[in-house]
Amino acid sequence: MSHAPFETLAPVYAVGALDGDDLVRFQAHLRAGCAACEAVLRESDEALAALGGEATPTIPPADIRDALLRRVEASSRPRPRRFRWVAWAAGSAAAAVALAVFVSGMVAARYEARLGALARETARVRQEVLREQATLRDEVAAARTVAELLRDPGTRVVALNGLPAAPSASGRVVWHEKVGGRLFVSGLPPAPEGKTYELWTIAGATPRPAGTFDVDRTGVASRPVAPAADDAPVTVFAVTLEPAGGVPAPTGPMVLGSK
Amino acid sequence: MTGAELVRRMAEGDREAFKQFYDRLARHVYPLILRIVRDPADAADVLQEVFWEAWQSAGGYDPGRGTPEAWIFTRARTRAIDRARAVGRRSETVVAPLGALGRLSEVQREVLELAYYGGLTQTEIAERLEQPLGTVTTRIRLGLERLREVLRPQ
Repeated sequence: MSHAPFETLAPVYAVGALDGDDLVRFQAHLRAGCAACEAVLRESDEALAALGGEATPTIPPADIRDALLRRVEASSRPRPRRFRWVAWAAGSAAAAVALAVFVSGMVAARYEARLGALARETARVRQEVLREQATLRDEVAAARTVAELLRDPGTRVVALNGLPAAPSASGRVVWHEKVGGRLFVSGLPPAPEGKTYELWTIAGATPRPAGTFDVDRTGVASRPVAPAADDAPVTVFAVTLEPAGGVPAPTGPMVLGSK
Repeated sequence: MTGAELVRRMAEGDREAFKQFYDRLARHVYPLILRIVRDPADAADVLQEVFWEAWQSAGGYDPGRGTPEAWIFTRARTRAIDRARAVGRRSETVVAPLGALGRLSEVQREVLELAYYGGLTQTEIAERLEQPLGTVTTRIRLGLERLREVLRPQ
């Protein structure tokens, strides 16, 4: 916080008129140590004392003086060295406390900054872990599904071969006529801008769209494939390069095909 | 002997120093207390309390933080306001300006008197004068600055 507001609060404090949040704020400011405000308070106190001293002097009733002197006489003073030592100790203790407050304030500020950085770093790492966890969960689920499928005698694994448009590509479809399956490909170049790969299942003569997919930077992809609606046994799987979003019937070059 | 020297001796238990300290300052402090609490019996009580505390806490007096006069007046004013509040009687009347106060503007004098002698807080003064809080605090600040100027020891 800037020092400016305290320049007005200090005189108000000096005349004893500060209240509410302002008082709390100013006291905290003083505790934190402020030479400028201390000086304002000191000078204000002097001015107000001089003001008080301006009034016509009035000698208070003599019995007050008598009572006070009797009290002082009866008090268990003097306490010479010890007292001074205590005063010194109290002064040192106060200074130590002030220093400790100051230092802890600085340390606290520094730690707060450090904690802020750590919190941001933690949040970032946490996001990353959550993302990886989600990816792993998907992969485990896919692997389980495939493992289940492979246990079923009705499941076949169909090999897809790279065609002249993508000679280094290859793929497999783990396929069950009733429950569908999963497509795995590798060696496919990432689809150009505005394009996507589309899988086709062919039963008889008509290719049916079975979903679009993109490969990662290493040319790998894996995606589930739904069973055909009419249960007609799929004879051929093929992948073509199509406009982004996919099309109902193949238009682009075929990059992978079975058989 | 300076006031600071007297207080230093009081801290060492010098009763004679206390007597001198009282004789020097009580006649100046008493009118202030009287003005704030407005009842002679209350004023006498407060005066005794203030000087008794001065005797007891002389060891805590730090000359670096102000003169013994400021030390005793600040304490007297605080104790007097406490008493006035306790008995529910506060000096809120603005009296004819004397000396330094007379060199302040009307509005500056008013807020300083309400605060210093009346023990009103900034919020109470703002309500009473029907002025925004910021106006009141600015008047206090400027009034006190002017007072410091006027009363600066030559």
